Amino acid sequence: MSKRDIAILTDVALITCVVQRGVAEKIITVAYEAGAQGATVNFAKGMGIRERLGILGVAVEVEKEVIHIVVSSDQVERIFEKIYLAGDLDTPGMGIMYITPLEKAATYIPPEVLEKLAAPVAGG
Amino acid sequence: MAKEIRFGEFIREISANQRAISYNELTPDPKFDADGNEVPYRAPRLRLRGIDIQRLLTPYVGVRVLDQVRTVVPLALYLMLFQILILRQGVSDVWIIVGGFGAVIVGLMLFMEGLSLGLMPFAEVIGNNLPKKSPLPLVLLIAFILGVGVTYAEPAIGALQQAGAALDVNKAPYLYYILNERTQALVLTVGIGVGFAAVLGSLRFIRGWSLKPMIYLTFVPILLLVGFLMFDPELSKVLGLAWDTGAVTTGPVTVPLVLALGIGIAAAAGKGSSSLSGFGIVTMASLFPVIGVMLLTVVISFSISAEEIILLAQNTAAAEAEPGFMDNKAVSIILAGVRPIVPLVAFLFLVLKLVLREKLSGAGIVAYGLFLAVLGMIVFNVGLETGLAKLGDQSGGLVAGAFAAVTEIAGSPLYSVAVGIAIALAFAWALGFGATLAEPALNALGQTVENLTNGAFKKRTLMMAVALGVAFGISLGIVKIIFAVPIAYLVIPGYVLALVLTFLSSEEFVNVAWDSAGVTTGPVTVPLVLAMGLGFGNSVDAIEGFGILSMASIGPIVSVLMTGLFVQYSMRRQEQAQKKSDEVSAGAIAT
Repeated sequence: MSKRDIAILTDVALITCVVQRGVAEKIITVAYEAGAQGATVNFAKGMGIRERLGILGVAVEVEKEVIHIVVSSDQVERIFEKIYLAGDLDTPGMGIMYITPLEKAATYIPPEVLEKLAAPVAGG
Repeated sequence: MAKEIRFGEFIREISANQRAISYNELTPDPKFDADGNEVPYRAPRLRLRGIDIQRLLTPYVGVRVLDQVRTVVPLALYLMLFQILILRQGVSDVWIIVGGFGAVIVGLMLFMEGLSLGLMPFAEVIGNNLPKKSPLPLVLLIAFILGVGVTYAEPAIGALQQAGAALDVNKAPYLYYILNERTQALVLTVGIGVGFAAVLGSLRFIRGWSLKPMIYLTFVPILLLVGFLMFDPELSKVLGLAWDTGAVTTGPVTVPLVLALGIGIAAAAGKGSSSLSGFGIVTMASLFPVIGVMLLTVVISFSISAEEIILLAQNTAAAEAEPGFMDNKAVSIILAGVRPIVPLVAFLFLVLKLVLREKLSGAGIVAYGLFLAVLGMIVFNVGLETGLAKLGDQSGGLVAGAFAAVTEIAGSPLYSVAVGIAIALAFAWALGFGATLAEPALNALGQTVENLTNGAFKKRTLMMAVALGVAFGISLGIVKIIFAVPIAYLVIPGYVLALVLTFLSSEEFVNVAWDSAGVTTGPVTVPLVLAMGLGFGNSVDAIEGFGILSMASIGPIVSVLMTGLFVQYSMRRQEQAQKKSDEVSAGAIAT
């Protein structure tokens, strides 16, 4: 009986981005275009900025979307920056994002991709 | 030099400037007072630059403006294009009307935002806490008063009050009297109707009553009153108005506020919230005012005769009172914005303070919301007068020119009678169809229904059914005005048909169908259709132009019920086919 294989991914990082409800789609589109492979969205409620903005606080939705995107360490800076610009995170109340280094990740990897990686690079 | 450069590092070098700042430099150090106790940290207010404020507000305002633009602009364009292309008439006062529509868009946007920030928190806190803390009779009393209050706050009710001015007292004295001299009584009656609906709806939430018997029971008084009124030649002219009020009441204020209270009551009663129980209140809220207005008519008919009214109207016309403080245009416009909202809020506030002893969090934001709501109401009223009502009146009057002689159009009738009437009907049909599909509430209802029926009743199907119902309803309303068909002859068969279909349908579809009638009549459609009907009625010399709205609410009830029956039927057939094929395959295995 043969053991099942797990392909472990290393050099992975997690980008988490909290934005107002309804904005996630825009962020994810940008991340996809920059090479991200997938995204997860949670709904949440946020506090803090609304209180500090005074009357302008009404412009900030309390309901948030939390986007998780797992990316490779080569991509992480690029996607981080794209999200920042797409989400207008330099505007008060638009949200926050952060990168978490991940030790390992595992998921479905197409077999042909695995084969290609296993084969020695032609021409060295 | 290194042979390999990491791509990430490469990118970091070439793109936007990054500057690393230690978060430690931004977070405050703990502070202690003289006794060594820690002082709680309070974040200071942010100071924003102009550009920040602009960037913050642009998306906030943009989304909300777009919401309203999407419902208002296509309708306005349709009316104007129709007028220019088919009737070959320029739109008079174009810029005033365009400005009016702008005011409607801005006003509605402000009002809706104010509603969700200022009024909804009240409704939610009260809905959640009141049923837990107070005995049932008190809860029902508050629900009743709330029902009356929200009627006054409904933006479309202003359209009804405006509609009376154009009436000819000699043709329909009672209608004139109710709309001009007894406006307050009319609105109060409608409000009482909604109040009773709120009480019954709340009881329904608690007891889990079915909607069907309630509909049957409501129809006994309705049919009796219609029967009483339709045989009196003077009183029968009020019937159109009575039925139209039902459509006016179920707007963007009544439905969410009354629902929030009802759902709170249901949750406190431990009945949970079956997603269906949210339906039905809307139905009641559109049927009870009809009864109320008919009763009011009966009462008035006993107290004053038609001749007396005509005399009275002539006297007031002769003794045109000199303009006082209240008659000042600006003051009256502002009062019209304040009057509907402030008493409602004062009442909710008193309930909150005296009965519940609860505090409302975020008082500043609530106050801001109320300010927006009042402001929005004022702007909307201005737009209603200069934009919606004006354009509706104009196109309504001109459409008649397609088949009848109208003074405004040189060479009218433009087409032969048959073609002209066909054009007018097609115009009304397309208007109803388009306006309904644009109504945002319908989209939400469609989604709910699709979820409830596990996809058997598609959102698209429901929306089409409702839009078709409204379209045919409005066309029927136009027929009513052209041929001066007594409204009773249309309403009674329509509702009897709806009753029969109700009897045949299952509870879910009954709930959805009856509510869909209320959903279609939003704050833009109502004034537009009302004004159109009145303008149309004036130019074909009809006695009164009411009744289109009521036809527009019977239409979707019938069409949705029929669609529901069809869906049920096809589901059952599918199941049977499934069973048969199962039996066949089972038999195959057995042999």
